Amino acid sequence: MASARPRTYAEAREVSTTNFELAWWVFMRVSGLILVFLVFGHLWVNNILVDPADIDYAYVVNRLAQPGVRIYNTFLLFFAMLHGVNGLRYSIEDYTKRASRRFWYKVILYTVSAIIFVLGTMTLWAFTYEEMGAAVRAIGVTP
Amino acid sequence: MYRGREGQWAFLLHRISGVAIALYLLLHVLDISLVMLGPDGPFDAFLAFYHNWPFRIGLLMVIAAVVYHALNGLRIILMDFTTWGVKIQRQLWYGVLVLTTLIGIPVLWVVVPQILAGV
Repeated sequence: MASARPRTYAEAREVSTTNFELAWWVFMRVSGLILVFLVFGHLWVNNILVDPADIDYAYVVNRLAQPGVRIYNTFLLFFAMLHGVNGLRYSIEDYTKRASRRFWYKVILYTVSAIIFVLGTMTLWAFTYEEMGAAVRAIGVTP
Repeated sequence: MYRGREGQWAFLLHRISGVAIALYLLLHVLDISLVMLGPDGPFDAFLAFYHNWPFRIGLLMVIAAVVYHALNGLRIILMDFTTWGVKIQRQLWYGVLVLTTLIGIPVLWVVVPQILAGV
């Protein structure tokens, strides 16, 4: 890797075999545009209409009981996590010089993000660990 | 700093705000997921801790980062997908700064009294 590191655009073009980075480039712009609306809406409701100091367990239970809020937050979680984690990946690629360190930083980033993404999805759709357990048992998987 | 003028400052601020928002996002999803531990779990105590004024000021900075990142993101989209965007990218960036301030003032108007009420 280090010996054949591309130095120019033409060299990089020869080394490249997929359009992976182009796909992410497009995704960042499309998801960014969607997130402007989703995030501003989220901030409007939870920071302007509601004083964040009043937010507690009861508030979250009440909000996540509404199907519309669940669907809205699912899209918000999905796009924000992919957009944010890919942005963090860009930063790792740009500022970590050693390839081995770059690799391990990304492994850590993806692992932590995947766990948090699953926890967020469980919060939205199962809400409690008991509900999650019941749902898992209902589809016949015994833990 | 390389003498990249406005474009490079726009990039640097986009990077810093983006990393800050992404790290906040991970923390935010994690702390909201504490509701899964039930009403007697640590959720309320954890949130009450976050409602202290230093964290509220931190939250205000996250909101400012989000507004800048969103508006500068729109500037990037214009630069990438129009024929005229790059030509006026400097003016667009000043527009981003002005709009961020204009949105920031009413936000402060609402949020600062909220924070003061809790001190």
